[in-house]
Amino acid sequence: MTDDQTTAPAPDGALAGLDDTPHTGEGIEADGTLVEPHSEDFGHAEQAPAQPDWFKRAVFYEVLVRAFADSNGDGTGDLRGLAGKLDYLQWLGVDCLWLPPFYASPLRDGGYDISDFRAVLPEFGTVDDFVYLLEEAHKRNIRVITDLVLNHTSDAHPWFQQSRNDPEGPYGDYYVWSDDHSAYADARVIFVDTESSNWTYDPVRGQFFWHRFFSHQPDLNFENEAVQEAMIDTLRFWLDLGIDGFRLDAVPYLFEEEGTNGENLPRTHEYLRKVREVVDREYPGRILLAEANQWPADVVEYFGNADVGGDECHMAFHFPLMPRIFMAVRRESRFPISEILQQTPQIPSGTQWGIFLRNHDELTLEMVTDDERDYMYAEYAKDPRMKANIGIRRRLAPLLENDRNQLELFTAMLLSLPGSPVLYYGDEIGMGDNIWLGDRDAVRTPMQWSPDRNAGFSRADPGRVYLPPIMDPTYGYAAINVEAQQDNAASLLNWTRRMIAVRKQHSAFAEGEFVDLGGSNPSVLSYLRRWERPDGELDLVLCVNNLSRFPQPVELELGTYEGFIPLELTGDVRFPRIGELPYLLTLPGHGFYWFQLSRLGDEGERRSKV
Amino acid sequence: MTAQTHDDLIAELATELPAWLPTQRWFAGKDRAVTAVRPVSWTTLLDGDPLLIHLVVEVDQEDRTEPYQLLVGSRQAQVPDVSSSASIGLESGLTCYEASGDADLTAVLLELMARGTTVGELTFETEEGAELETGLRAHPITSEQSNTSLVYGRQYILKMFRKLSPGLNKDLRLHRALREVGCHHVADPLGSITGVLDGEPTTIGMLQRFMPDAADGWVMATTSVRDLMADPSMAPEELGGDFAGEASRLGAAVATVHADLRRALGTEPAGADDLDEAVTVMVERLDRVAADVPALAVHVPALRETFEAVRSITSPVEMQYVHGDLHLGQVLRTLSGWLLLDFEGEPAASVAERSRLRSALRDVAGMLRSFDYAAQQLLVGRADDPVLTDQAMSWARRNRDAFCEGYAEVAGTDPRDEAVLLRAFELDKAVYEVSYEHANRPDWLSVPLASITRIMTEGS
Ligand SMILES: Nc1ncnc2c1ncn2[C@@H]1O[C@H](COP(=O)(O)OP(=O)(O)O)[C@@H](O)[C@H]1O
Ligand SMILES: [Mg+2]
Repeated sequence: MTDDQTTAPAPDGALAGLDDTPHTGEGIEADGTLVEPHSEDFGHAEQAPAQPDWFKRAVFYEVLVRAFADSNGDGTGDLRGLAGKLDYLQWLGVDCLWLPPFYASPLRDGGYDISDFRAVLPEFGTVDDFVYLLEEAHKRNIRVITDLVLNHTSDAHPWFQQSRNDPEGPYGDYYVWSDDHSAYADARVIFVDTESSNWTYDPVRGQFFWHRFFSHQPDLNFENEAVQEAMIDTLRFWLDLGIDGFRLDAVPYLFEEEGTNGENLPRTHEYLRKVREVVDREYPGRILLAEANQWPADVVEYFGNADVGGDECHMAFHFPLMPRIFMAVRRESRFPISEILQQTPQIPSGTQWGIFLRNHDELTLEMVTDDERDYMYAEYAKDPRMKANIGIRRRLAPLLENDRNQLELFTAMLLSLPGSPVLYYGDEIGMGDNIWLGDRDAVRTPMQWSPDRNAGFSRADPGRVYLPPIMDPTYGYAAINVEAQQDNAASLLNWTRRMIAVRKQHSAFAEGEFVDLGGSNPSVLSYLRRWERPDGELDLVLCVNNLSRFPQPVELELGTYEGFIPLELTGDVRFPRIGELPYLLTLPGHGFYWFQLSRLGDEGERRSKV
Repeated sequence: MTAQTHDDLIAELATELPAWLPTQRWFAGKDRAVTAVRPVSWTTLLDGDPLLIHLVVEVDQEDRTEPYQLLVGSRQAQVPDVSSSASIGLESGLTCYEASGDADLTAVLLELMARGTTVGELTFETEEGAELETGLRAHPITSEQSNTSLVYGRQYILKMFRKLSPGLNKDLRLHRALREVGCHHVADPLGSITGVLDGEPTTIGMLQRFMPDAADGWVMATTSVRDLMADPSMAPEELGGDFAGEASRLGAAVATVHADLRRALGTEPAGADDLDEAVTVMVERLDRVAADVPALAVHVPALRETFEAVRSITSPVEMQYVHGDLHLGQVLRTLSGWLLLDFEGEPAASVAERSRLRSALRDVAGMLRSFDYAAQQLLVGRADDPVLTDQAMSWARRNRDAFCEGYAEVAGTDPRDEAVLLRAFELDKAVYEVSYEHANRPDWLSVPLASITRIMTEGS
């Protein structure tokens, strides 16, 4: 070791609040290697009952640990608080929780700026608390996945601290350093509002470092085999504890290459295949979900080789569908939805889309800037009301002006279009947002459990709660809360729960082929979900959605299913037999139907249980 | 087995047709009595039970004689599943009916076409390179139609032209020409049926790719108008159901088809006599209609002046093949964009007129008129409401402009820049509408009259 290093600050110096818990960089080996916590240092959770391809039929629920339930009364939600609400989530029908990052972090980017991959943000609890959450979730057959950012770390991460202070040490090559800032000039700057370049000068090391996002988030150097291995070891750490998978954040950017835009490079895919191999070999049944906010035709690449059913990520989010659903209902036209689904390529047999109406991010049109797709952009950006919602975070209910019919229609489409639905916490009760809190926090207010103090979220003094719960007359917790809605059979919550239950009775919703029925009425979107059951019988579901606020008739071409009988799925009401002529239905404004089509006649209907 | 000709049956049947024809939706001669119906040719397509005969008849109506085609079906063992209006009568002990609704029988037409067969005078063939799937059942489309179209499965649509004119049908001819230049805005032609009329091979049917995902332009536009009328306080551009984006893409599609028609079939510059003749035809129509419809009288001098102004146009006018009867009901919104349908041309015009070269602005004018109709259709039969009328007007203006902008983006020139000609064509169309509404739907007369008033005041 040189003098320089002995006088350098402690590698974990930038980590706040971790002194009492195991964390990266609490010690340093003679060769400069950082001491990192190991999974053996903690308990391991039992796995949930094995279910092959569980993710293809799961209902996901995105929940912010901070916002859900506060167990220790400090005003901030935590892992133990979340664990205490698992009965509710099981009752609702949730199969998998998606937790945005809960790692140690300076929180300059909502926790996506991770300063220690092996420690929990102290406000949320400890690694042991996380294992407890996993254990309790798995007992209820609920799985848990979380975000993991492979591409970069926080600049507070001990790796980066070592890298900048000791260029010759084991971490010297962990990040992308350069003497000048001319390389990779073709890679666009993503956060153009805050960053002027993808290079930032570090006075400590006297070099520039590369970052595709914020300048406080240096990109890891995936050219370095040690980094590739270190990140796989990070995955192993959590997988050993029992986690069910990861949403891999910002995957398109892992590698950079001169003369390219640095997105979706072949080597990035090569690395994902390597990660997938580890998961399949060592942790079968766990999943990888890609976050690649790109056009479906490009995202499909992240599923990998279709000949083997996919060999990269098991899931990927379908980003363009969501704004198109809003557009379609606004225009009372099925074309925005039908078009995007037609342009969505087939995906490998072992993979699934994740679809959502809202999440913690803004409504973005980032992926539709391409020339031939400017249709969406032109339509959206010209419409003052839609435009007002671009780039800001809103919740579903306020976006739909709290119109119960539309909330139901949107949810029905979310639960029946191809892909696994992802609900955003609180949307099941129709929570509102608080735009006075600023963009980022508007949709992160405390979950509304009851009309009690702090919405039943925390026993802390109201002034200490991390954000005030919503209190306005329409969306406030006095009016909208879980307790009241559980007691009311007609509530949005109970309705949502029933719809989830119906969805689960038919694998066609989850895995069925999607057949758009078109039809002469542009305001009605109707489609079949068609699934061949293992016993060879057909599970056929017909979904008909009125995108218009006015009642609509529709004539469906169901010729192939002549003689079948539609059974309405929410009330088990039998509709007239399908004949040779077009099948006539009428729908109330924003109404929808879900039917099972079966050949069974008078012997009675049979639900197709898997 | 040689098929029987069933001459007696046909002769008997002909006696029933004068009473039966006027009850059929597609029959074009409802304005006067049928004096006689003469079978001119018939072909047995299926013999025995069931029986299917293709029949062409000449229909006499006072001074007019026109050929129509029928599909005659008959069954002994089983009652066909067709509506009672299809029943023609009991002939030679057989119940005969119009068979286009009998899926068992119409399946034969597709079969014959796929095989490329000639039966008697009828030739069934596929377009070059087209491979047809057979064994599909067909049902007639339910929309208001002057022909009869059968949809096979979800794949094909077969249009049987009802009123026939000798020769290659313009609809088929233009579809072929457009397909050859790779036009994306028409449904591919896949096959045809040709008969013989006045000794000339004559198109009697055309098969095209069916677009099951399609919604027609009229329905799309009126969906938007409906939205507007429900929120009279909102400007059209603020409305959820705004149509301007679609209208602009439609304009671009029409301009593309026009360019493709020029590419495929060429153009000619309009001579002075072409313009003179166009003016003469427009003025003659104006005089004729004004004589029938008193409400038009106040506009006659100004209209005549507008038409006459066309004579003095000095900038070159290009003549080409056009659609000829373009309106929102002739376009389909599909998942891959807008398609144009039905290139037969204006139904009231003679065959010779229809196949003449015209200015592409005729089509633009037709579509602009259609936006007016779509905007105002919900007002028909309602008490005057100035707020709603204003709304309708601003919807029409917004979408007409969007259509022209979309057209201009592809064509390079904005149709509105050729104001004299475009105005004349729009008004000529409106005058035609006045006479049509006067005769058929007096309630709707206000629509073209209001448009005439608007165009005249806007122009001054
Ligand atoms: N290729 C097609 N795909 C889907 N629908 C079609 C197609 N062609 C025609 N149609 C439907 O049939 C209707 C009548 O067709 P059209 O060719 O205009 O017949 P007509 O000459 O009798 O007016 C159209 O308005 C449209 O709704
Ligand atoms: Mg037509």
